[in-house]
Amino acid sequence: MNALRRFLNNGDINRFRLWFQLGAFGLLIYGGFLAMDIGNSLPTFSCVFVDSRAGACYLYPLQHQVNMPWSQFSGGRGIGLAVGLVTFFLFFVLFNKAWCGYACPLGTVQDWITKLRARLGIRYSLYANETFGRLKAIKYVLLALLILLPLGISNSLFGLPKLPRDLATSYCMICPGRTVLPLFTGDASQLAIDFSSRTMMALTGLGMAITGGFFAGAFVKKRFFCLFCPMSALQYAFSKAGLLRLTKQGAKCTRCGNCSRVCDVGIREIADDVTSRNIVQDDCMMCFKCVAACPESHCLAVTFLGMPVYEATAEGFMRRTKRRDNHG
Amino acid sequence: MDKERRERLIRTTGVHLAMEATETLRQVVEEFPDNPRAMDYFYDLFRAEYCGGGAKKNGAMRIGMLCVQAPEELIRAAGAVPVRLCSGSHAFDQAGAEFMPAKACSLVKATLGMLSLRTAGGAERLDLVVNPTTCEQKKKAGELLEDFGYRVHHLEMPPAKDSEEARIYWQRSVKKFAAVLEETTGVRITKQRLAKAIRTTGMARSAYRRLHELAKWPRPLIRGKDVMLVTNAYFFDDLDRWTAAVTELADEIEQRRETNLPGAGKHAPRILFTGSPPIFPNLKLPLLIEQAGGVIVVDEVCSSSRLLHDQVAYDEQALYDMVPAVADRVLKPCTCPVFLSSQDRVRRLLDLAASFAVDGVVYQSFAGCMPYALEQRSVGQALVNANIPMLSVETDYGPDDQGQLSTRVEAFIESLRGKARKRA
Repeated sequence: MNALRRFLNNGDINRFRLWFQLGAFGLLIYGGFLAMDIGNSLPTFSCVFVDSRAGACYLYPLQHQVNMPWSQFSGGRGIGLAVGLVTFFLFFVLFNKAWCGYACPLGTVQDWITKLRARLGIRYSLYANETFGRLKAIKYVLLALLILLPLGISNSLFGLPKLPRDLATSYCMICPGRTVLPLFTGDASQLAIDFSSRTMMALTGLGMAITGGFFAGAFVKKRFFCLFCPMSALQYAFSKAGLLRLTKQGAKCTRCGNCSRVCDVGIREIADDVTSRNIVQDDCMMCFKCVAACPESHCLAVTFLGMPVYEATAEGFMRRTKRRDNHG
Repeated sequence: MDKERRERLIRTTGVHLAMEATETLRQVVEEFPDNPRAMDYFYDLFRAEYCGGGAKKNGAMRIGMLCVQAPEELIRAAGAVPVRLCSGSHAFDQAGAEFMPAKACSLVKATLGMLSLRTAGGAERLDLVVNPTTCEQKKKAGELLEDFGYRVHHLEMPPAKDSEEARIYWQRSVKKFAAVLEETTGVRITKQRLAKAIRTTGMARSAYRRLHELAKWPRPLIRGKDVMLVTNAYFFDDLDRWTAAVTELADEIEQRRETNLPGAGKHAPRILFTGSPPIFPNLKLPLLIEQAGGVIVVDEVCSSSRLLHDQVAYDEQALYDMVPAVADRVLKPCTCPVFLSSQDRVRRLLDLAASFAVDGVVYQSFAGCMPYALEQRSVGQALVNANIPMLSVETDYGPDDQGQLSTRVEAFIESLRGKARKRA
């Protein structure tokens, strides 16, 4: 057991993640060709606009399911909503936010863009602390809209007239997942502006602009889009219940900041917070690069049901440094 | 200073330095029965450096550091050898007294004295001196060095380390330092060279960490006076040779654990040493502690553990990420009292005390060293709250307080014996 643990802790989780992401990408984008279907409540961007997908992103059914009059919430359709939410929760709770770091196809695409940038020797950009604080609120606004807009189609909210039907899946219309992911199956049809109505024109126009921003942003900023992702906001609501966790022993921490400086989303708390045990933040995607970069034994750890799966160790840190330099 | 007087000063200081060094080495080597054999490398190294006129230096450029805060990885990547100049010599302290107020800190005065005479301790040939702007005395010392004729780079440091502003300021300052290094040595710092420097210094720290870990063993296996020689040797020794010697020492110590070779007794009080750095030949206080029967199992001083603990991590193998990474290493985890907050130092001390099963803490502050004197209260309070006794000592490089100190240290060690027995 100790030998196994040591082997794991000495391992390079970044390399493992690279291959895992590739596999997950293949499965979620092309799994349909093998007649795979893992349901409609996946806590990750397995986009419904990809025909060969192996399962669907939960945000799409969620928008449909809340699009009903208040009276039906207690009826059969309400049960549908509840079942969807519970299924989402069950999927999510298994791997927590690692769905973002290890499975999300849109996240993987951003990581590939980052690899390309690094290979070209172009430096990344960082957010200032304050900017970061302001921007991270956007995803909660998007999540609120994603639920309120469909609700406003079936109901009159705040005394306003009911909203047009075209807003039914408004978030999907502006999500870069819809425009980018089908490209991997040779389908460029989503890269267009829909002129069928004024609402659709506005939504798809915005979607095209966001797609442009997605590529440009991901090229200069690691995981640029993730900071705005409403799925990330929805997940964080349940993150405390996750079985997979990222934990920290504050007493072991020297606040050297290694974890924070390798963090793709630029989380500061991982280094500065020395009191929280469960250290997952709302922007965290549980890629666990921080654990690999931590030189203090047992300070940061990945646990599943309380059992350490991957822990920071001084030995593991040094092995990774050596290996990396040898591979250039 | 006229020439004749200067030569006389160089001669007498040289004699006094050799006497000091010989006496410290005698105590370190002969007064303890259980020296590891692998320590001979270090004993010989110090004998050669301080009593034998210094070892032959190879041809590489030598960059002096007035403090541990200069990122040595950059110096190595620029093809030069870093030499830490902080001196522990009373003879140099006296020579340096003419440049600083009487109440100034011994360490700064000794370093100035050494550099004004340019005779030993690494001061013979220096292509550049880096002066990180830490405490006020070092800042001013840097300016004096320019008057002595040295080429000095003042590496500007922020007064705090937690804020983003401080970190950005420091990273820019380090970037500028890298450019000065390239200009000095004529060698470009490339990502390959820097990666190699990060790896080799990382391996040295890794070797030291292993030795450090072994001190957690319930029965002390190595004494603090030896560990301090090992870490002091890092100031001037060849990096690869040092790493190999530390590895050999750690191997031997590991054997002791398995075969129960002699070490200090199980009931010896375990001490954590913190505060102003004990630098060879001034091992006065550490030696008194161990002569009185205590064992320094761990320390938190910038000449030893602080210097050799923290590691560099970078995300992308490119200079835009690696240079800030080596800058971060010396700023973020640093527990020097010149910074705004003492919280990290207190947390570090409490963690070390717990994980090394420490019975008591000895806090050294050099007379004249304000930062350490100022933090003594908050550190002491935190230790009291954690039920850890602390002896706080104000001293300098002079031998005058030896008698008084040994009485206090003996009493402190005696008072810990009951606790140590209960623990064992």
